[in-house]
This record gives sequence, C-alpha cells and structure tokens, in this order.
Amino acid sequence: MHLPDGIVPVEMALAGYACSAGLVAVALHRIKARPDPQAEIPRVAMLTTVFFAASLAAVPVPPTTVHLMLAGLMGVMLGWFAVPAIMVGLFLQAVLFGHGGLTTLGLNGLILCLPALLALRLWQQIGGRWPDLAAFGAGAGAVVVAIAIFAAIVLTGLPAELDARAERAAVQIFALAHLPLALAEGVIVLVLLRVLRRIEPRLLPDG
Amino acid sequence: MTLLSRLCALTVCAAGCLTPLAAFSHAALIEAETAQAVRLHAFYDTGKPMSHAQVIIYAPDNPVSAWGQGVTDRDGRLEFVLGSETGRWSFQVRQSGHGAMVHVDVTDDAPVVVATGGAQSWGQRLLMVALVAWGALGTALFALTRRKGRDASA
Repeated sequence: MHLPDGIVPVEMALAGYACSAGLVAVALHRIKARPDPQAEIPRVAMLTTVFFAASLAAVPVPPTTVHLMLAGLMGVMLGWFAVPAIMVGLFLQAVLFGHGGLTTLGLNGLILCLPALLALRLWQQIGGRWPDLAAFGAGAGAVVVAIAIFAAIVLTGLPAELDARAERAAVQIFALAHLPLALAEGVIVLVLLRVLRRIEPRLLPDG
Repeated sequence: MTLLSRLCALTVCAAGCLTPLAAFSHAALIEAETAQAVRLHAFYDTGKPMSHAQVIIYAPDNPVSAWGQGVTDRDGRLEFVLGSETGRWSFQVRQSGHGAMVHVDVTDDAPVVVATGGAQSWGQRLLMVALVAWGALGTALFALTRRKGRDASA
C-alpha cells in the first residue's frame, strides 16, 4: 500500500513532503529530549530492516494482494523513533524495490507514521492495564487507520478525467481486502509482546 | 387484355424492379487505411494482471489534459489506435491508488517504447534485503560497541 509516482497531483505531493518533514522534526526533537537516545539505535536499526523487508511478503487476498505494513509494531516498539525509521524504510523500498514513488515519499510517510504514533498512544494509554488488548488494538488499528488515510488521499486527488465511481469501488474493494491483514498484524504485535514479556521483559516498550 | 397492354404492364414491372428505390438504396462504403496501434499490458509486480484498470492517454502536444481514456480487459490488456501526432505519448494505468506511467515515442515509422517498469527477480530482492540487513546489523553493532566503550570509560 504505497502511493506510486504520478498518481496524486503535484500540490498534494508537496503538501505531503511538508507535513512529513514537520513530523520528522517533531520526532527528532522528542528523541533528542530522551536521556540516552543512542541506546535505542540497535533496536531501531533491526526493526527498520524488518519493516523494509516486510513489504516483500505479498499475501493474495482475492481479488487483490496485500503486504505487511507493521506500522503498529513500529509505533509500539520504537515510540517516536518509528517516524525516522519508517521514513528510511520507505525511501529504501522506493529506491530498491520500486514500492512507492519518490515524489510521494512524504505522503507515504504520513500514511504509515500517523498510525504508528496512534498505536504508540494506545499502548501508552492502556498497555499497562490490558497489554494484550492494547497490543492487538495497536497492530490492527494501525492498519485500519493507514487504509483510511490512503483512501482519503487517493480519492481526494482523483483527476477529473478518471471515472471516479469505478475508482471509488476499486478503493473500497482494496480496503476490504486489508481487513484480514489488520487482524493478522494485531495478532503479530500481540504474540511478539507476549513472547518478549516472558523471555526478555527489558525489551518491552514503555507502557 | 390485348398484347399491347400486356407489353406495357410488363415494361412497367421491369422498370419498377430495376430502378433503385430510395427506401432500399443504403450502399455500403469502406475506406481502409493503416494506422499505428499501441498494445498495453498492465500488471502488478506480483505478476497479477491489472484487470479492469483505467487508462488515461496523453497526447504529445498536450501532456496536461487527457487525450482519451480506456479500460483494460481481464488480463490487463488494452489496444487502441493513436492519433496522427508524432512525439511522446504517455499512458497512465491506475487502479485503487496503484498504477504506473509509460511513455511511447511515436515516429513516422513505428512506435518505440522508451520507458516502462520491470519486475525484479526474487534473487535480486533477497540480495537487497540482505544488504540492508547487513547495514542495519553494522549500525546496531557500532552503537553497541560505542556504548560499551562509554560504560567502560565511566
């Protein structure tokens, strides 16, 4: 679920860059305010690789194909580090795999960074009391929010000469096909955090 | 009936049959000419065809406004005849926020595809993932080494 080049108007692409640049600036400011930001770098580096490679795992969900997004996992595990990590992962996906465009990198960043931050917020709010519910909600909810942002951008930027009705129907089918992925990502985050709780609680994110 | 009157009646009938009547005079005319056609095949990088995707065509003299539209078939294919203008024609295929643009240089001789996307093999993809993983591992180890060095000096 990456916007390729040429799909959205230039104004939207520029606005996407401006918004994502602002988001990265806020994230870096929050990271800098942490007592020891460098301590998180190994975890950030490894999860960035997982995020980068996840887009290769295409799962056929008729009539379309979906791939893992892992925005919820990134948000819960990395906190504000998720924003630069996702942007780096998206850049590498665009350059190396052609997944997503370079002109739409800002918009793609918003599509995944905002759900990651919402997942983080959910985990911080209820992760202490109901960790399983928070983990599942963060993983699944991030997919749903990402799909909603993606659909809003696509439908807002439709060119006049396109059959809007057909494109709306295609986007609806595409969104419905991602519901199994939302459940799957919810289970992935739930299982991962459970395993960490048992094996290595020090690696658990702050709840 | 006399012989003369029979001859007159026969002549009238023959004239009626041979004279083209306005109601039955739709002549079929055919003009044939050769033209340059373009055949598109749109598919995702998974190999799945972009069935019933929308195609927007931009002519060389106006790359902003669409020259025409079309829809791919079940196999992601679409064929159409271009206009007479030579130059770079652009074709955008899109479906549910996914899509790609391809350009075709049309000359007086034949259309030439000058840019199109190509799917990577799994070997190439795995190699790139391995390279990125190696970079991340190196970054992680570098950060850990620096941290240990800092802790030791403290």
